[in-house]
Amino acid sequence: MTDITVHRPGPRAWAALLICELKMVTRDTAGLIVPIGLPMLILVMNASSAGRETIAHGRTAFDVYVLPLVFTMVVATTGIVNMPSFLAYYRRSGILRRLGVTPASPALVLVAQAAAGVLQMALGIAAAWILALLAFGAHPPVRVGAALGVLALTVAAMYALGLTVAALSPTPNSSVAIGLVVFFVLGATGGMFGGRGNLPEVIATIGQWLPFGAGSQALSAAWIGAPIEASNLIGLAAAIVLGGVVAAVFFRWE
Amino acid sequence: MGADTDHRHRRRRLALPNVDGMHATTSSPAVEADGLHKRYRSKVAVEEVGLSVAAGEIFGILGRNGAGKTTTVELIAGLRRPDRGTVRVLGLDPRRDRARLRQVLGVQLQEAVLHSALTVTELVHLYGTFYRDPLPSDDLIESVGLTASRRTRFEKLSGGQQQRLSIALALVGRPRVVILDELTTGLDPEARRRMWSTLERLRESGVTILLVSHTMEEVERLCDRVALLDEGRVVALDSPSGLVRRAGFAQRVTFRAITPVPGGLLEGLDGVDRVHADGDRVVVEGRGELLQAVSVALVRAGVAAAETRSEQAGLDDAFLALTGHRLDNTKLDAEFDTAPDTKGETIR
Repeated sequence: MTDITVHRPGPRAWAALLICELKMVTRDTAGLIVPIGLPMLILVMNASSAGRETIAHGRTAFDVYVLPLVFTMVVATTGIVNMPSFLAYYRRSGILRRLGVTPASPALVLVAQAAAGVLQMALGIAAAWILALLAFGAHPPVRVGAALGVLALTVAAMYALGLTVAALSPTPNSSVAIGLVVFFVLGATGGMFGGRGNLPEVIATIGQWLPFGAGSQALSAAWIGAPIEASNLIGLAAAIVLGGVVAAVFFRWE
Repeated sequence: MGADTDHRHRRRRLALPNVDGMHATTSSPAVEADGLHKRYRSKVAVEEVGLSVAAGEIFGILGRNGAGKTTTVELIAGLRRPDRGTVRVLGLDPRRDRARLRQVLGVQLQEAVLHSALTVTELVHLYGTFYRDPLPSDDLIESVGLTASRRTRFEKLSGGQQQRLSIALALVGRPRVVILDELTTGLDPEARRRMWSTLERLRESGVTILLVSHTMEEVERLCDRVALLDEGRVVALDSPSGLVRRAGFAQRVTFRAITPVPGGLLEGLDGVDRVHADGDRVVVEGRGELLQAVSVALVRAGVAAAETRSEQAGLDDAFLALTGHRLDNTKLDAEFDTAPDTKGETIR
């Protein structure tokens, strides 16, 4: 029976699955509250904490510290907490198991899932940015390209971590709990609670290599027009590579 | 062995010739399992299971709940890794050669769950994109009788409709081997017969079908051969008529004795193997013209009998003779509520 050849699902399958994921998102309107509403909520909650005095290049503390933190938090919650919980639902319900007996590859399923998530996240960040512009007088980053690049890297790093959480969790429900713990640990070391300056030096140093601290620090730098620290970029890249490999190796259909 | 056996023989068509030339080597088995062993924690699910399915055959796996049927097909489909033993499907290892096998193996899982917010058409189209040469969605939906519900979301379909969709998805990639786990569970009688015809057409096109069932009627009508599973082991593997022969009798006559039957009257008759009496209810098992022999003997002895019935031995009798218990002690409809014993296991 050597006439059986490998046929990997092609672009049609990727497109079909992505369209299906997006259709499901639009049919479950309650599910849109988190990606669209959460960024604006986090923005409003943090807006008051920063002063409006200019730091450099006409950017205020709000622009340089609050906005990067808000965007990093949004990316982290969606990537590390939301995405594993969706995958957990897929796994628990048996949808993944069913896909596991088709030629669909884990990559196909994960990428479609991630792409749908990223699109929602982009929508949420755009909504928060418009709100920041209109209600809080925000200024765009000095280095727009660098900021967008860092944001993309951070998204990838957080998703890679989320996939790792989903792949390593023993049960579907535990993945949500583990995701939350990872989120808070990363957030705490990355300055989510009251700024990096208040952290013990060791933790602050570790934090700047981990995706949360690395992402928000690099984004701050891009905003104010400063060079981005190599440690931030290396940290983000390492998270992407390690997370991607672990997720691919330990992926389970059920 | 009267008309009943002829009836079975008519169905016992073996592998069809290669009409489409798809099967390069018809002589090698389509599915081969050898010495399969799988344990979940302390429970042994299957033990030394071996079977060989010829190309173009409908092969049944019959057994009670928890007999290891689902585990066996999950091992064959490559969903689980056996602790011991080997599986080959079309010559491929279902786990090592996963990518190649998935193109030509269609699987319908028990209690399959699909994306709940997608419609019938969307799901059939989506699953079709995974395969090289999928069946046209509309034709396939029509063939499982879902055309009227094609715009209905999966979550809004009835159990039977979900089942039919699940079967459609197993067939969308034009598989050469199909595994169907509890094919007609949850289907009404008409849908069930319709599904059986679909399977017969599939066999005519040369597709090999592995059918898990606990419905005698289904197995007797469709299967060329049957593996009878009990407590994780294959207790018999034969054609349905071959299994029925193992029931130890060909016919059974039952009647209610209005006046007492003299002792030894029936036992001495030609062709009688066993006589059980339970109060006035008498059951005679044997061969040949049993009904006539019993009737004549009763009339001659002046015994008045009522409610006389004669039946051919069936698979359920064979099952009882081979395993010591009845197959159908669970209601069919309860199946959807009965979780498989392996549910929740996370096994790579």
